[in-house]
Amino acid sequence: MKFEKKRASVKQEIPTASMPDIIFMLLLFFMVTTTMREVELLVDYKLPDAEALEKIENKRLVSYIWVGKSGKIQIDDSIVQIDNIRTIMYGKAQELPSIIVSLRVDVGGRMGLVTDIQQELRKAFCLRINYSANIKI
Amino acid sequence: MLRKKRSLGASIPSSSMADIAFLLLIFFLVATVIDVDTGIGMTLPEITDEPPPPVSKDRMAAVLINENNDVLLDGKPISLFQIKSTLKPRIVSKIELPKKKKLIVSLKTDRKTVYNAYISALDQIKMAFFEVRDEYSNSRFGMKYNDLSDEARKEVKNAIPIIISLAEPEAVK
Repeated sequence: MKFEKKRASVKQEIPTASMPDIIFMLLLFFMVTTTMREVELLVDYKLPDAEALEKIENKRLVSYIWVGKSGKIQIDDSIVQIDNIRTIMYGKAQELPSIIVSLRVDVGGRMGLVTDIQQELRKAFCLRINYSANIKI
Repeated sequence: MLRKKRSLGASIPSSSMADIAFLLLIFFLVATVIDVDTGIGMTLPEITDEPPPPVSKDRMAAVLINENNDVLLDGKPISLFQIKSTLKPRIVSKIELPKKKKLIVSLKTDRKTVYNAYISALDQIKMAFFEVRDEYSNSRFGMKYNDLSDEARKEVKNAIPIIISLAEPEAVK
């Protein structure tokens, strides 16, 4: 007697025809959400921790000022002197009136420098600022 | 003898499309930075030549931080982390008062004060305001401030405005 294995006549493959579509969908999602890193950091800094944080909803309005451990100030791609902040930021505020300036200052920075920067920002009519901080866990 | 030409199916091979898409996908996965910017928002005052209007003393809460990170609140030395609990009752006591009598917190530092202490103090002040707002909206609307509708939120905002004045530093001893 011959034994014959019974096989189901149903196809046993996962349909892969729609796989490219799914992948493309994922791809599109990531393409839309990606913001490329535009600047290279020239200063070394560590952000302070805080609890009462607010999210910046509109990233296009944000312009960053970095202040490093050694007190160097970076705007965009270059280290700047404190006297130049006013002209640079004034130009930015002209282009984007509702600009938010995010200050990324090192934890060990001194308030004297921060206040000087703030004074320059006031003179440049950049009045909305944001002290960047990490969430305290 | 005539042989019929076999028609060739003219199609672009699409079996490698998934691979190409995967490659692109991986590139964007790696390049994506999904970090939301978080921070403490403030609005700087405009530069004016006019002297600031006189403010009655009971409206003001003056926080001073010196270069050793010691905190002085209205002349009394307290620790950095007591700022919130000290300010909260004062904010609550002024909820019912008209707009011109709400609490103003003034934060003043020395030029040598460490930034971290300043942010911690600012954080404490903001937290005090946020917690009072939360409690107020909880008692009035039964919800947290963040879940309120726009109108209710406006009302709470009017009752408890966050007024923080950043004083220019001088040598605080």
